Amino acid sequence: MGIRKIDVKLCIGCNVCVDVCPMDVIRIDPVGNKAYIKYRRDCQSCFLCEVECPEDAIEVVSVHERRMVTAW
Amino acid sequence: MAPRVETNTIDGIDVLVAGGGIAATFAAIKAKEAGAKRVVQVDKGTVGKTGNSCFAAGVIHVCFPEDDLDDRVLRLTRAQGYLAQQDLIRDSLQESYSILEEMRRYGVRMVMNPDGTYRRMAGRGAYPIVMFYSTQLMDALRKYAQSIGVEQVNRVCLTELLTRNGEVSGAVGFHQHTGDFYVLRARATVLATGGTYYKGIHPGHRDCSGDGFGMAYRVGATLSGGEQNDQPANSMPARIDVGPGMNKWMGEGAFFINAKGERFMERYSPKLKERSGLPQITAFFCIETRMGRAPIYMDARHLGPEQMERLYQMLPLPQREFESVGVVKDGKFQKQVEFCPTGPTTRPGIVVDRSYSSRTPRLFAAGECCPPSAVVTGLAAAATSGARAGASAARCARDSDDAVDDNGLMLELRERTFAPLARPEGLEPEHVLLELQEAVIPYDVLLLRDGGRMEHSLKRVETIRDQDLPKLGAYDLHYLRLCHEIRNLTLTAELTLKAAIQRTETRNILREDYPFTDNVNWLKWIMVREEGQGQKWWTEDIPIERYPVAPKREVELAYLWRVPRDLGVVRIQDGRIQWVSEK
Repeated sequence: MGIRKIDVKLCIGCNVCVDVCPMDVIRIDPVGNKAYIKYRRDCQSCFLCEVECPEDAIEVVSVHERRMVTAW
Repeated sequence: MAPRVETNTIDGIDVLVAGGGIAATFAAIKAKEAGAKRVVQVDKGTVGKTGNSCFAAGVIHVCFPEDDLDDRVLRLTRAQGYLAQQDLIRDSLQESYSILEEMRRYGVRMVMNPDGTYRRMAGRGAYPIVMFYSTQLMDALRKYAQSIGVEQVNRVCLTELLTRNGEVSGAVGFHQHTGDFYVLRARATVLATGGTYYKGIHPGHRDCSGDGFGMAYRVGATLSGGEQNDQPANSMPARIDVGPGMNKWMGEGAFFINAKGERFMERYSPKLKERSGLPQITAFFCIETRMGRAPIYMDARHLGPEQMERLYQMLPLPQREFESVGVVKDGKFQKQVEFCPTGPTTRPGIVVDRSYSSRTPRLFAAGECCPPSAVVTGLAAAATSGARAGASAARCARDSDDAVDDNGLMLELRERTFAPLARPEGLEPEHVLLELQEAVIPYDVLLLRDGGRMEHSLKRVETIRDQDLPKLGAYDLHYLRLCHEIRNLTLTAELTLKAAIQRTETRNILREDYPFTDNVNWLKWIMVREEGQGQKWWTEDIPIERYPVAPKREVELAYLWRVPRDLGVVRIQDGRIQWVSEK
């Protein structure tokens, strides 16, 4: 889960999501000038991209993206 | 992929600051305000959007002028198990109010009363807390730093410090998007790269990977405190990516229940209950689990509209996270949420004095890059330590020559930085991380300790160090960053376990084979530094006689064990803990 999708119809290629992602999950496709999810497994579901996207184009779900080792 | 390595050199830096959180940003601001001409702040993400600070749970522990400073020093010192550097703790508390005022001057919005005073509310601990509006805090600080001329370099992952004749002269790293090799030469360097949770269940913290500990250790800096922390772990929702916010949820009246539906914190800590300190919460979580009463849930379903409104204001990200999985719906908690401790947060920090100067010339540290004894977890201490470190670094820059470094060393560091890219067939960092996490995150390793179990984990960590790290491979620059993070995490785990094994007592963190707090022999800091190819370990006595707060010099059953013993959960036999089975 984590970051689910970036709606290419809504994305304006402004780069905000790329800048705010602490984990370097999102990049811009230079051909279409749209954001895309490049390293989904590193998403930590922090929601910065979803909250800061000016076009409301991103959807995140707070479920661990990869296998998590927990205290128990 | 062979790296396309352009070298990007930034010379003539007065103060170089590594990190993008509140400690680093305050260091950069204060260095500039103290007269440093060129201040460069480097972060592997974007300044203000990384580390723990931008996800901090809406509260700051500030010592107000009307608070009893002596009492607050006493409480923090006790919370630190008397291992605190009390002069630093006092400095930090004393300066926290003026730092708060400065934050407002820089544009940070705080929650205020209609009469213009700060709105203080109950949080964890005895003193009320101050609240702010989530990510606005770091956004404001980042912008203010830019406005006074701090140069911010984003997406550059620093890998090593530069040195010449034992003095730190800057740092090197690489840009995660362009692949350029960065050389930053500085008269003074501040490391404020945070602590770590081993990338465990803590959204908004998985980029904190002990990078500062690794960089400082590899240039021979003295580290300390790997075994100890007043916050041995945080607690977070266990199966979903939500948090942090426990302080605020508990402050609004949420509570924990165990698998039997009991509000167990009432038993262990009748007065403060869920608002107890993190050593208590962590310990009693672990004891409940050891007794077979996990899972543990947070219940916040009873919170009313007023409380929920405050949560939405202070914790917009976690509340949105809860909504995304249906825990919160229509402005109300609909379900109980399983909680467990995060990865252990003990940190082998860079030893600092009152000016946050390390024992290595021209190297300073701030925030969670320092040992717990010097800087307690939380925004206030991170900010005050950053402010002091920045001002000290500016003074050092003013009084020092231009930094020079060794060209041979530079080539070696460049090679070391990009080495995993030459091994795309190597081990994926993700898989090595999972092994490391399996060694250190389970609660019965570093939160409920036993010498034998820690030795077992240390062997696993040493195997990772010796057999896996040299084979780490990176497909591209993103994976290259992960490789460096895993290397620093492995070192952090090694130093933490070795220090924890040495501390043969229970102090803030449960140890089954040594349940006593030994104030005769263990009022000591455990220190380590790299020497040649090896490690030098030693202890230094805490100058407790010089400090205002001191415990009785005696050996006694640790408070954290006394409570479960009195409740009949454990008994002491042959000097160690025996668990009493439930009938």
